[in-house]
Amino acid sequence: MTEPTRAKPDDNALVRVRGLTTVLNGKKVFDALDMDIPRGKITAIMGPSGTGKTTLLKHITGQMRGDAGEVWVDGNQVSALSRDKLFELRERIGYLFQNSALLTDFDVFENVAFPLRQHTQLPEVLIRNIVLTKLQAVGLRGAAGLMPTELSGGMARRVALARAIVFDPMLILYDEPFVGLDPIALNQVLKLIRTLNETLGITSVLVAHELEAIKQVADHIYLIANGKVVAQGDPKTIADDGSPWTRQFFGGESDGPVPFQYPAGDLGASLGFPRRGA
Amino acid sequence: MSVSMSPNNIVLRSLSQIGECGLFLLRILAAVPRSLRHIRETVRQLWFVGAMSLIIIMVCGLFVGMVLGLQLYDVLSIFGGTSATGTVVAIAIYRELGPVVTALLFAGRAGTSVTAEIGLMRATDQIAAMEMMAVDPIAYVAVPRFLAGVIAMPLLCCVFCALGIFGGHLVGVNWLGIDNGTFWSNMTATVDLMKDVVNGVLWKSVVFGAVVSLIAVFQGYTTPPTSEGVAYATTRTVVASSIAILALDFVLTAFLM
Repeated sequence: MTEPTRAKPDDNALVRVRGLTTVLNGKKVFDALDMDIPRGKITAIMGPSGTGKTTLLKHITGQMRGDAGEVWVDGNQVSALSRDKLFELRERIGYLFQNSALLTDFDVFENVAFPLRQHTQLPEVLIRNIVLTKLQAVGLRGAAGLMPTELSGGMARRVALARAIVFDPMLILYDEPFVGLDPIALNQVLKLIRTLNETLGITSVLVAHELEAIKQVADHIYLIANGKVVAQGDPKTIADDGSPWTRQFFGGESDGPVPFQYPAGDLGASLGFPRRGA
Repeated sequence: MSVSMSPNNIVLRSLSQIGECGLFLLRILAAVPRSLRHIRETVRQLWFVGAMSLIIIMVCGLFVGMVLGLQLYDVLSIFGGTSATGTVVAIAIYRELGPVVTALLFAGRAGTSVTAEIGLMRATDQIAAMEMMAVDPIAYVAVPRFLAGVIAMPLLCCVFCALGIFGGHLVGVNWLGIDNGTFWSNMTATVDLMKDVVNGVLWKSVVFGAVVSLIAVFQGYTTPPTSEGVAYATTRTVVASSIAILALDFVLTAFLM
């Protein structure tokens, strides 16, 4: 008998989104969204602010459920998983939060060690070695004893990255990993993302706005707007794409299919000016 | 009066909160077995909510006992019954003042800090990060703080009672000149272990500890992730805890007498 939550095993996509429809506060965030995240690749999800990029990550990790459609991760239909199964799946997923989300009670070392302590019975020596190796990878072995409040934004992001990779996950989701980074730290993070992908074969999903940075690391880009994928392809294809969506988004134009103004009534009426002819 | 502030709405919202709080308690109780592996976290919380509250409990206990001794001596001297000062101080503290004042102080000192801490953890995505690391935040965050409150409250109440009686003795015997032997012998002859100490100190403080901790954890866990949300949640913890303590005190007293 086929398990209802299992997808076809030969599927090359680690994450499959099919017909995802989500309505939040009366606004349709996703409108029958379809997307495939290939295994072992770096996929970037881009789009104007408020188009639901972070929300999509939340669907992938089961933090949110859509009103319709399916999200499959490594053959598991996320919304159909029990809590225990969902937690098992999450142990194989690393998630880098926008604001790092470090545990403020613990120092850097304990933050990175936290998932190991919670899910394994490894001896202290081994935990120490794993944590220091991961911190070395993000260039912060020397900061192991610092508290999160003593870190800069970029350092906190790198500690969060070390924590996200401490289990060598199959999938890492990066939510705005480049925000607030100086050029040196940005290059380091870019290198890390690429290295993790090449050496460990980790599938990566990046939500970001920095096109130049994305071009350097992404194998595939999805541009989403109005709840749908409006363009996709490798960085070169996307850059050469002449559609109004890509022109406006990558050209930074205020006029185009994506309105700059949030929907509102007539400006003159809002300011109390009398209507002409009235 | 706006619709949201109408009496009907306030009552409905309060009832809804009580219902949600009840369901949250069930989630906490269901997670207790899972949280046993986080026993170190429970001990850490016991230190924060218990040991760190000791100073305020001791100081307040001492002054409550002292003022009680002073007032009772003044009133009892009218009837020539100052020798009963120790007895009345002890009974008042064991039965009512000990558990109630300890719980009110605990709500102000530890309850608010628990609410603010959990609220900020939510606002800074720490709770979400735990969920993403496949760590159940109810078992790791909520249960240890709840259990710590339930364990700490009776212990703090004992300290409060001891200091309260010491304060009464200080004023009654050392200051106002009641005979030391009379003070203690009348007290030990009248105070009943089951009725006054077990029912008063133990049961009431365990129930108050559970209620205050539940309210504090619930408010923190469900607060909107904003600075305003955390501020409101902290206020709600004090208000709801104070009302719950005083209302439950009446109910418990009626049942335990």
